[in-house]
Amino acid sequence: MIQAEQLVKWFGPTRAVGGLSFAIPKGQVVGFLGPNGAGKSTTLRMLTGYLPPTSGSAWIAGHNVLKESEAARAAIGYLPESTPLYPEMRVQEYLDYRGKLLNMSRGGRVRRINEVCDRCSLSHIRRRLIGQLSKGNRQRVGLAQALLHEPTVLFLDEPTAGLDPNQIKHFRELLGELRDKHTILLSSHILTEIEKTVDRVLILKEGELVADGTTDELCGKVQGGSRVLLDVQAEAGAVQAALGEVTGVREVEVIPHDGWCRVEVTPAGKDDLTDALTLKLTEKSMPVREVTRRKPNLEDYYLQLFQENDKGAAKAIA
Amino acid sequence: MNHVLTIAKRELTSLFFSPVAYVVLGLFGFGTALLFLAGFAPGAPAEMRNLQWSVLWLMIPLVPAISMRLISEEFRAGTIELLMTLPISDTQVVLGKWLGAMGFFLTLMIPVAVLVAVLGLNSNPDLGPILVGMLGLLMVGGLYLAIGTFASAITQSQIIAFLLTTAMVLAFSPLAVLLARAGWVADHPWIKQGLFYINVFGQFEDFAKGIIDLGRVVFFVSGTGLFLFFATLTLQSRRWR
Repeated sequence: MIQAEQLVKWFGPTRAVGGLSFAIPKGQVVGFLGPNGAGKSTTLRMLTGYLPPTSGSAWIAGHNVLKESEAARAAIGYLPESTPLYPEMRVQEYLDYRGKLLNMSRGGRVRRINEVCDRCSLSHIRRRLIGQLSKGNRQRVGLAQALLHEPTVLFLDEPTAGLDPNQIKHFRELLGELRDKHTILLSSHILTEIEKTVDRVLILKEGELVADGTTDELCGKVQGGSRVLLDVQAEAGAVQAALGEVTGVREVEVIPHDGWCRVEVTPAGKDDLTDALTLKLTEKSMPVREVTRRKPNLEDYYLQLFQENDKGAAKAIA
Repeated sequence: MNHVLTIAKRELTSLFFSPVAYVVLGLFGFGTALLFLAGFAPGAPAEMRNLQWSVLWLMIPLVPAISMRLISEEFRAGTIELLMTLPISDTQVVLGKWLGAMGFFLTLMIPVAVLVAVLGLNSNPDLGPILVGMLGLLMVGGLYLAIGTFASAITQSQIIAFLLTTAMVLAFSPLAVLLARAGWVADHPWIKQGLFYINVFGQFEDFAKGIIDLGRVVFFVSGTGLFLFFATLTLQSRRWR
């Protein structure tokens, strides 16, 4: 459905994207991750046909983005990064304008505008000027225009930026409803967001693809097994020393608070250290009021990938 | 064509949303009325020729103010990204923008039409030359707005677009005449002819007299087409840059 082959983009002397290739089959929801300036937006702009790649090509629903540009563009819905809209237009008027330019019939526009307004919770503000809407509502208008013509492919650039937690939850539910009908590529900074909603994750670093896989696959690549979080009543130095003695421990992080210590233990291998750690604390007569085992998540993988001092390792892990 | 009209309609509506539109309308209406009154006296010839010439001068600063935001504002606000990822062509975008601005220009002509009616109520003017003169003003407006559309496709800044348009519009009229009289041009008759040819005021003269000359019409239509083509090329150039 979405295919990129050796996409390269140079802005003058700066390389924004370097030789990016991937294919996304129909119906997949893919998260696009990477630090600022990794080339996520540039890639999305090339896939939508807004920016031509310096070299390489891309196909949307079987249409070459450059050679059959209009056919490719007809198949996409796009929400750009900063949700650029016309402030002087009313929500409904704007959606109708987009619908006309998307070759929708009058009846089709009326029906779809009702549907997307419902779906994006815009019904009560349809007559408001876009310029007077809050950031969250503007974001919803942006999403509504992307969904308007029921495109087969959706590109969402930072769709949750500027939304409050409640709105993010709504957005996630919406995404769940959309996944049956659309192939979706969304970029985001919020790792937990991506983890919960996507089938697959692509991670970009300096314009290159450094990771590609399902969340589980990527989490499995995190060095070391599950971390153990403990709340211990003792002096920080003592806790550090005691837990450091346990075999298989790679790192102990201690944060004292109110006479207690919040401890995070990272194992060196895949073994579960919970038992060994609690035994050690009992042996030292240090009271424990909480023990949690935390499986590696996407954030652990992401941090591991972008650890500055092992630049080469990032590629090796991927 | 439908897409062109859709874009034009949006452009026209959004022009009326901006304060610039009302300043331009106000200045233009006030200016033309003043100039009309200056020549409105018993015994004076019942014609609009002098007024049409004055309107031509008024258009030099005011028309660029209409066109300055057409495309530059899309670039500045980033809305261009959503516009250019629609399944429509760059030519449709440019034509739509220009047509929307023309719609506003027609609104500007309403005060002039009102003055014609005032003249008609008080005397018995020969309507032929007046209407042809209005057609001439429309031709000039179309050309100036095409130049403005091109300028606004070059830059994100409305002010730069305004200044570029004014400079080009000036170059096409008073400046061309001044240059044609320069000493060194006298030795090169083809330059002189060229300068006289591109002089919009010169091309307008026949219209003001009530003559529709095909050559003049071709000048304005092709000039307008040329600048709209430049604007389209400028938009497309982002695909090669």
